[in-house]
Amino acid sequence: MVDIVEPIVARRSPRYRFWLDRSGVLGAVFVAPAILYVLLLVGGPFLLAVYYSISAYTIYDPSWQFVGLANFRQIVQNPAFLEALENTFLFTFASQLLGLILGKFGALLLLRPFPGRKLVRALIILPWAVPIALASVAWQWMFDSLYSVINWTLIALGIIDRAQAPNWLGNPHLAMLCVIVVNAWRFFPFAIVIFLAGITSVPQDVIDAATVDGAGFWRRNYQIIMPMILPIVAIGLIFGIVFTFTDLSVVYLLTNGGPVGATSVLGFQGFQVGIVSGDVSHGAAISLFMLPVLFIVVVAMLRFIRRRDI
Amino acid sequence: MSTATPSRFTRRRFLKQTGLTVLAAGSAPVLSAPFVSAAFADAKSLSIVQWSHFVPAYDKWFDQFAKDWGTKNNVSVSVDHIPVQDVAARAAAEASAGSGHDLFGWNGAGGAHLYRKFLIDVTSLVEEVQKKYGKISVIGKQIGFNQDDNTWSAFPDYYINFPVMYRKSLWDGIGIQPDSWDNIRIGGAKLKAKGNPVGISLGHSNDPNTTWRGLLWSFGGAVQDETGKHVVLDSKESVEAVKFVAALYKEAMTSDVLSWNDSSNNQYIDSGVSSLIVNPISAYRTAQQLNKKVADDIFVMKPPKGPVKQFMGGAAEFYGIWKFAKNQDAAKEFLKYYADHWVDAFKASSGYNMPIFANIVPKPMPLLSDDPTSTPRDKLAILQTSDEWSAVPGYPGPAWPATDEVYNNFIICDMMAKAATGALTAEESVKWAAQQCDGIFNKWLHRV
Repeated sequence: MVDIVEPIVARRSPRYRFWLDRSGVLGAVFVAPAILYVLLLVGGPFLLAVYYSISAYTIYDPSWQFVGLANFRQIVQNPAFLEALENTFLFTFASQLLGLILGKFGALLLLRPFPGRKLVRALIILPWAVPIALASVAWQWMFDSLYSVINWTLIALGIIDRAQAPNWLGNPHLAMLCVIVVNAWRFFPFAIVIFLAGITSVPQDVIDAATVDGAGFWRRNYQIIMPMILPIVAIGLIFGIVFTFTDLSVVYLLTNGGPVGATSVLGFQGFQVGIVSGDVSHGAAISLFMLPVLFIVVVAMLRFIRRRDI
Repeated sequence: MSTATPSRFTRRRFLKQTGLTVLAAGSAPVLSAPFVSAAFADAKSLSIVQWSHFVPAYDKWFDQFAKDWGTKNNVSVSVDHIPVQDVAARAAAEASAGSGHDLFGWNGAGGAHLYRKFLIDVTSLVEEVQKKYGKISVIGKQIGFNQDDNTWSAFPDYYINFPVMYRKSLWDGIGIQPDSWDNIRIGGAKLKAKGNPVGISLGHSNDPNTTWRGLLWSFGGAVQDETGKHVVLDSKESVEAVKFVAALYKEAMTSDVLSWNDSSNNQYIDSGVSSLIVNPISAYRTAQQLNKKVADDIFVMKPPKGPVKQFMGGAAEFYGIWKFAKNQDAAKEFLKYYADHWVDAFKASSGYNMPIFANIVPKPMPLLSDDPTSTPRDKLAILQTSDEWSAVPGYPGPAWPATDEVYNNFIICDMMAKAATGALTAEESVKWAAQQCDGIFNKWLHRV
């Protein structure tokens, strides 16, 4: 039996077509809030910060007097700033590297089927989701000079005695290691998610073919899977670097830049000078100093991704 | 036969309905504004923000006190308590936004002088209270008073003193009184060998900023001169002070002090480990609750004598009223009433909040002269004289934005720590700190 389709009555097309029916216009309307958000809440403050950095603006005297690049000249002549810059690079790249290594191993473990894997996958996100203020309190107790859980365990196991117990936040090198470890701990769940997304997107037949050809675990991972997921990992790394380079929370909550300025990073220094001490123009200059550095890193990584894109 | 019926929920309809909903929600406040503002005008309100006190009972008392005042005066009062380290950032946020609490309570460095252009002049209020309760102490005048035009930009509330707290039995055991810096070094070395080191932080927080300034002054050094225009840190006296701290660290302390925050030294003495700290009496009050045996053995003393003087840093609390505050009159009235009941505030803080007006707490002061919880009952009596030996960070000059930045960047703490850990010699360390201070002073001198 054949259905007889009712003839479509040709409607007279409206002279003025409703403008929202045009996909181009509608798309723009939907995207507009995001653009407005970026312009008002990111672009506006950014331009304001740029002007602060070239002005004499302080909380004591909120004047907009233009001073050119004097603020930048003054901060680069300060040895404390150069030390903070060096610390920032170390803090950023070491914590990202550690986070990536942990993330890679975590992802490989979570790919294997085992009872409760879904629960573990959910729990592993916790370090990323827990507010850093809360997590820092726990870490502070772990690294405390008097009540360190780590030291207590090492002493209880007879590995060290009280006199040899490391002063985690009191030794400049150990303190830097601590803030790096805490930041890597925050970052590694994100790295796991990135690696899991990347590894699961690699076609199984490619891996099977490599296995048939005799490639072992290491060769499969580092000569086949890693090169294929590198662009995805690089995107995750860009996020990690940008967030860590501009971060002050771990340092502020754990060490306050100490001991002897050993963990002072640019974000922390900008906050202390600009907000706590009220010298907004120099604080803005310190913060904006990160911009060209991050710009170069991000552009270099994006170019790398483009070249490696498969 | 099936016919294609057009969907009832079209894109156009969705957009139309969503748009109307958003428009209605957005315009609600505008439409209701005349009625809402009329309602607000009828009910007065006063909002206060200040630090979370180290004596929690004081916060409870203050909240109830403010609420009771509000009930009597038909004003709705709200009090917010924030961690002490967040005070500066909150002040900056409120000043930048031109909106926030009516009454802002500052603690420690920064505040009244930095935010002077954002605060109303409270000179008449301060003078009125001064007439009633006597002269303002030196430390009180260093806080909210503007030397250039003799005005007050903030109302001085109290200061926090930093006496020596020591374990009497331990120091008696070695036959040394910790009444001078030299004795603390010599006795501290002996007690460290017995497992009871001295505990003065070399970390980044308020306590070391205050204590090491006191030591610097006791040796005749200072960051700035009396005018506040010149950095005088690079001196023979400063080098001697730094050399002393390096020796004190090596002989009488442990490396733990490099990582301490403001509560670490309290825990150190309260746990029975330390033989001596320099701290407000909160450490003793906490010990009374946690470890009565240790508390009974903790005694309080004036700051140690140095080669030049016997002096110590202090921290100050003061209230500013924003120019943008909605209820400035209520804020002033509240401060007047608060000053009239200041003895109650003093008692609620267990003697932690020290008076700035000479007769606001007549001597002998309650609790400090006769504390029923202490043995002997006059254990804390020496604190009644602390206005004679306490000063804020700018001493001997005024506290101003440059001295605040030196404080906030922990330059004096790091000057001591660099030499103590051997990272720099005492001379190099003082030179480094003086250069840092010079940079900060040059910057601010051109901006105030």
